[in-house]
Amino acid sequence: MESRPKRARLELLVRQADGDGFEVREIPSAVAYLQSRPQRIPDMDWEMARLPYARQGVVTYALKNRRTEQIIQITEAEKFLWEQMDGQASLQEIATAYLLRYGSFDFEIIPTLIVKLLRADLLTMRPVSRLRAVLARNRRNAAARALEGTLHALERLTVTSRRAHEFFERLYRYGGFLLFSPWTVLALIVMVGLGAWGGVQIWEELGEVTHGLARHPLIAILLVKIVFWLTVVNHQVIHALACVHYRRRVREFGFTILHGFIPTFYADVTDIFMGSRRARIVNAVAGPLFHLFLGSFCFWIATMLSPGLIQGFLVASAILQLQSFFISLYPFCFLEMDGYHILVEWLGIPTLNHDAVRFVRESLWSRLRNVVSLTRRERIYVTYFALSLVSVTAFVLGTVWLLVTAGQS
Amino acid sequence: MASLPEIEFLRGVPLFQEVEESVLRALWPSFRERRLRKGDVLFRTGDPGEELFLLKEGSIVVSKPVTGRIEQVLARIEPGEVFGEMSVFGDERHRSATCQAEMDAVLYSLDRDSLSRFITGSPLTAAKFFQHMAQAAFKRLRDSSDLVAEVTRWGLEATGLDVEHK
Repeated sequence: MESRPKRARLELLVRQADGDGFEVREIPSAVAYLQSRPQRIPDMDWEMARLPYARQGVVTYALKNRRTEQIIQITEAEKFLWEQMDGQASLQEIATAYLLRYGSFDFEIIPTLIVKLLRADLLTMRPVSRLRAVLARNRRNAAARALEGTLHALERLTVTSRRAHEFFERLYRYGGFLLFSPWTVLALIVMVGLGAWGGVQIWEELGEVTHGLARHPLIAILLVKIVFWLTVVNHQVIHALACVHYRRRVREFGFTILHGFIPTFYADVTDIFMGSRRARIVNAVAGPLFHLFLGSFCFWIATMLSPGLIQGFLVASAILQLQSFFISLYPFCFLEMDGYHILVEWLGIPTLNHDAVRFVRESLWSRLRNVVSLTRRERIYVTYFALSLVSVTAFVLGTVWLLVTAGQS
Repeated sequence: MASLPEIEFLRGVPLFQEVEESVLRALWPSFRERRLRKGDVLFRTGDPGEELFLLKEGSIVVSKPVTGRIEQVLARIEPGEVFGEMSVFGDERHRSATCQAEMDAVLYSLDRDSLSRFITGSPLTAAKFFQHMAQAAFKRLRDSSDLVAEVTRWGLEATGLDVEHK
């Protein structure tokens, strides 16, 4: 049997902005391929028609390049992929969307379709980061240079372990599996009950509790923040363990500066998309439930203590944990967090965020102007967009109000 | 005067393998020792080149600018290898690539005048020296063409371009 040649790797030396320092990065062609963003030609240059003479039960379409008059035939699944190829989504994201839509993945379908589309001049490929491409083109501008340098410096803060899977497998074997047993669910229910009872008790003595915290403000803030950060690590650890539980691979675990400004720990559990629907939902829910458990536990323990720094710390931590629980599960904020993943599973629209923003930006106003009624899916897009917009606005205004009133008091 | 370990080191370098010990001893004072810390640049593309180098310890990365701060890694020089000879013997007197220490390195340099004296002083030995130099150059040429093929394959794989049927 002929063995497949190893994927090519490009070895690049990337020099630091401020001197001779450098690092050598190996870039496999597969990574570059996955991160490329295929873009179909402008809408006016192509047209699609459903073929009436397809075999029974098999829907096919004719896709025509109006400039070259070339026509190719594509399947329903390929049509779905074609619709994703808008130059915004990377191949990796498109593959994920496909998997969520069809529940399984054919590794050949995307490369085969891309070749077919490229042959018919229906597609172009883009690099992954448009921002970085724009910055690179404008290096003469000092601000662009500074921003590029900052982004590069922040990227260097990323700490990653690509051998995380073996560690999480051991962790799962030595006790992690208990988290996914019925006993844990029972313990969670009991703990939530105790936590709710504790919360009510604490609420009645709230003045004394906050007083205990306010006596040591600096220690209190540091304690709460540090413990909260540790729980964020645990949130990711539990996602990773859920991934192992469903026999999927944890690709990476590490620390990074998300979007260049949010310091966060992360676990790459994208392999869970190859698992069942139940696996994906359990994985999404497991992390937030950890915050619920911890918040309830803190409330319960706090009721056993007398007023003071420790009780105040536990109550503040409990509130932060519950806040994290709700924020993680809240799907309407344009961020694809745990709650969002559950929502898209429920709706069956894997690229909801992306599609909703695009629909509102490109099509909604013309539809409203022409008084064209919306389909069910379009109504979902509008609802998602509106709820997200309202939520984000309320969050920003609420934070400003909180800061102003805290400053005044 | 060169000590025994230094002569032994030179003897281990293919370029000087067939050079008589007396000639090596006479040549040794012309070598200048250079020490580089990790990240130090030995020379950059376009710099004037007057000497060749012989790496004793460490590792040197050879690269060529591509765009912005990104450079293509062309090769790595390992202990016992000679480099920088292109601008000494070639018709282009400027460095064709950048050489930088990938880890702390110790190397010896030999300038053009010393080499000329060595060549005119022992023509027979110099012929063997150039024979090994030509072999090293052929190997570099092979490595370069392999790299071109690899980079082309990378481009095809990364873009999914199907040229077989186009």
